Amino acid sequence: MTEERDLHPLEKKLLTYLEKNGKSSDVDIIRESDLPDEGSFRRAAQWLLSRKLIIEESREEEVFVELGPLGKQNLEVGSSPELAMLCAIKSGSNSLQEIQQDTSFDRGHWGSAFGALIKSGLLKKAGDDILFDGKPEGTVFQEVWNQVYIPLSDGTEIRFADLPENVAEVVESRSPRRGKSRAEFVLNEIVTSILGITEEGREALKKAMETVTIGVMTPEILAEGSWKDARFRRYQVDIPPSRIHTGRLHPYRQFLDTVRKRFIGLGFSEMRGSLAENEFWNNDALFMPQFHPARDIHDVYYLEDGSSVPPPSDELEKRVAAVHENGGGTGSRGWGYKFSRKQSLQAILRSQGTSLSARTLGSNPDIPGKYFAIARCFRYDQVDATHLPDFFQVEGIVLGEQINLRYLLGLLKLFAEEIAGASDYKFLPAYFPFTEPSVEMHVKHPRLGWIEVGGAGLFRPEVCLPLGIDVPVIAWGLGLDRMAMLALGLNDIRDLVTPDLTRLRNMKVQPDRLLTGRDRATNAKN
Amino acid sequence: MPKIEVSRRNFFKLSRMKDPGDDKLANLLTLVKGEIDYSLDNELKIELNDTNRPDLWCVEGVARALRCSKNGPENHLSSMSEDHLSIMVDPGIQVIRPYIAGFRATGWKLDQEGLDSLLAVQEKLSESYGKKRSRTAIGFHRAKEIAFPVCYVSAETGELMQPLGYEEKMSLSHILTDTEKGREYAHLLADFTQYPVLTDTNGIIFSFPPILNSNTTGKVCQGDDDLFCDVTGTDWETVQLTATMLACNLEDHGAIITPVDVVYSYDVPSPDREVVTPVLFADCMSVTKDEIKKVLGIDISLETVREVLQRMDYASVEIEGDTLKGTLPPYRRDGIHAVDMIEDIAISLGLESFEPLLPERFTIGHSAPVEELVDAVRTVLIGAGCEEILRPALTSWRKIREITRSPIPPVMIANPMTEEYGAVRNTLLPGLLNVESTSAHASYPHRMFESGEVLISGDDGVCRTEIFLAGLVCGNKADFGDVHSILGSICYSRDLDLSLRSVEDERFISGRCATVIINGKASGVIGEFHPAVLTEWGIARPTSGFEINIDSLKE
Repeated sequence: MTEERDLHPLEKKLLTYLEKNGKSSDVDIIRESDLPDEGSFRRAAQWLLSRKLIIEESREEEVFVELGPLGKQNLEVGSSPELAMLCAIKSGSNSLQEIQQDTSFDRGHWGSAFGALIKSGLLKKAGDDILFDGKPEGTVFQEVWNQVYIPLSDGTEIRFADLPENVAEVVESRSPRRGKSRAEFVLNEIVTSILGITEEGREALKKAMETVTIGVMTPEILAEGSWKDARFRRYQVDIPPSRIHTGRLHPYRQFLDTVRKRFIGLGFSEMRGSLAENEFWNNDALFMPQFHPARDIHDVYYLEDGSSVPPPSDELEKRVAAVHENGGGTGSRGWGYKFSRKQSLQAILRSQGTSLSARTLGSNPDIPGKYFAIARCFRYDQVDATHLPDFFQVEGIVLGEQINLRYLLGLLKLFAEEIAGASDYKFLPAYFPFTEPSVEMHVKHPRLGWIEVGGAGLFRPEVCLPLGIDVPVIAWGLGLDRMAMLALGLNDIRDLVTPDLTRLRNMKVQPDRLLTGRDRATNAKN
Repeated sequence: MPKIEVSRRNFFKLSRMKDPGDDKLANLLTLVKGEIDYSLDNELKIELNDTNRPDLWCVEGVARALRCSKNGPENHLSSMSEDHLSIMVDPGIQVIRPYIAGFRATGWKLDQEGLDSLLAVQEKLSESYGKKRSRTAIGFHRAKEIAFPVCYVSAETGELMQPLGYEEKMSLSHILTDTEKGREYAHLLADFTQYPVLTDTNGIIFSFPPILNSNTTGKVCQGDDDLFCDVTGTDWETVQLTATMLACNLEDHGAIITPVDVVYSYDVPSPDREVVTPVLFADCMSVTKDEIKKVLGIDISLETVREVLQRMDYASVEIEGDTLKGTLPPYRRDGIHAVDMIEDIAISLGLESFEPLLPERFTIGHSAPVEELVDAVRTVLIGAGCEEILRPALTSWRKIREITRSPIPPVMIANPMTEEYGAVRNTLLPGLLNVESTSAHASYPHRMFESGEVLISGDDGVCRTEIFLAGLVCGNKADFGDVHSILGSICYSRDLDLSLRSVEDERFISGRCATVIINGKASGVIGEFHPAVLTEWGIARPTSGFEINIDSLKE
């Protein structure tokens, strides 16, 4: 045991003291040894005890008497109420009422003192009169005053065991274990431990003294070369490290970063756009009719009057309006209503990242091309454990001559495996106002079972043609917040944007393990 | 998304199939884009994701889809009664609630489940598809109590009717104020001095759409087997389709439908002023084999396509040479382009029958340039010991203007859900101060930053999104120098000149605040927060911060 580790400087100090002074009480050691404080002593003693370099020879429990709050008041008055009452009666007072006129003690204390004196037999009642035939000096209360109050007033320690029996009885009866705030006395139990050095301890100390041991390395040690004749104290290397707070990326941002990297790795280019949109790009260009329920004032945030977003070109707006009204030559019947330009220009907070896809389609995209955006979107929801005022979606498009439903399913399969880290997935027919056919993807989560992670569809011709795109386009989107909550082990979506640093610091982050908690490498093997 | 509750027994009876268990049922429901919301002994709640298919928002519609996918198409409304009833529409109604459709359904004896499903579909269609009865409302009556022909007229507010469930006759205006339904829907008639009513041949009012039926005709109950249905509303298409969907539902239960000739005294969106309802819609779409292949990626014969569309209850499917023409059943109007029919083909085939393919064409992926810049700066800040923060973009006027004293007003939302999220942030500093104010228990010092989108409004009100970067240091000894050093290391790492020019700003202590100048251009602000700001936030330690536009680090 002892060979495993060198003596710590604190241990050395404690052993040296015991070697010199023999068996000693902890109180003495703390007071007299070179150990800097009680904490250092306790640590050193514990280490040495566990290594059997010292032993506890004995333990002594001693009880010390101290004054409680009531006792301290008495000391200030200069007398206990019992003593004061006896003196008062001696000097002529003969009823409790009369004595209670004296405000040195409150009525309650006078009352309980009276009770105590009657009980002890020192006072007797005769009708309303009180009889006392003795001298206050001879009573136990005087002894308590002399042997407890007076010594305590100048700092002398009083051991309970040293008190005469009658005094001890009074002190004990007035030292309640509970309700110390109204106690006259407090009995303090103090355990004194007597420690002694063992044979092994002597040897260890001897050995330690023979060699110079280096604790903390210093530049001086290096400069002087004093390490050459010394040995290094061996550290106990397996103690837990103390926690430090490092600079750190935000857990949710790390998750988003990972998603972003994966999409770039899959050959997608990143789109960016504005938080504020007009209804044209958010809805009209996506062939969502202006009466669509999702465009209701209770579903979208409108910006206050005076705020605007640059309008689309007149030509484009005309084409989109025609598609809504009568199909605009796209082979569609259209929605058959009068398109409102005013509503089209209403500024809103974007409710879907698809607006970015529409803008990309309208500005000469690469064909074939693949685009994505991690977009903050806004929905009209009450904020709670499952809803944030704004949230992130990853959305995008894939366009090319060859694109069809089978490539769309292939793309979703790719997302299931590469983004969500899932190997079990299924496709279900879905409905999105701007795509046909539309598919949603569910993946199997090891704990939660089937969960929906996103969807895709082929943009309707009514979307693509007015924007000048005549090849098929897959529009796709994945919800990120739910995936992030699973990845970060959170149950409340608000934690993703928590203002609480402690909570943030306690989040474990494994950005390489997304939805199912498996990393890509393991997934690839499956 | 609409959800419907159905009785399992009724549902499978109508579907003409045995309960296959929830797993198989879930598969079958993909036909209607439906999911099981919950499933108990006899209760089944189904969520329907297609907001364009109101015909599916009832037990009859979903059951019909399942039935047809197994047994093929049904000829809906093909054997209606030869006799027609009629409704005369008075000119006065045109400005109030101009359209009406109706029919009589005879021979289906209502049991409890039938009555339940009737009320459920009435409620669902009026509330969702009918936009809380503003576009359409539905009334069911005991047909035998009505003396035809019926008139749809506007009536004085003082005219009397005994409303359904009430003992006495009341004036129409009292019905609006003194009945529960009246109060709920009175706003729909708030602009009018006359109200829409249906009167029988004797001129007696028996219905007050869109509010209530009369107690005489409207008390439909178990055992009734002769119903009259009226659908009134403000939108032609919605009114007609609602009546047609309901007629199909009742016919599915075995009722014989008697059509109603509605005679308008004004022009309506129909070639003729006399309209037979329910209208037999027959929207058709045409596709070629190549067009199908282009969308679905499969070679499929038009004969097979005919078969799968018939399983989707298409009214007719004709093949002429290379072209297939499909006609939707009368209860559907959601086919506005050939792609809609192509999706039906895919759904009928089942998505699992399509083999997924990966795109073969090569594309290069790249990140948005600004994101690469942001990433580089974030790395420097992590090295400087800062913790990254992420806050919502929606916040409040109070936090930005009143508590933090930011000089520029943010863009406000016209219809906020709560004031707490009524403003779009135009600065990140309030968010960081918010974090500081709730983190006094986290060990100090606090060094944090956020980079993120803010919405800036120009003088002309045109909004643009910018990416800002803000940093904050708080602790017993935190001061101006700390944030200055952080900013300095960012600029140093990007080889940019940083200088500060003293400025006054209410957020910061006078004399400890500056405009950040990067390569000679004013780019943001830096300073030690004013004690008054810190006190407002409940922050008890010295705090300094900076905020710049990320664009200033581009050069």
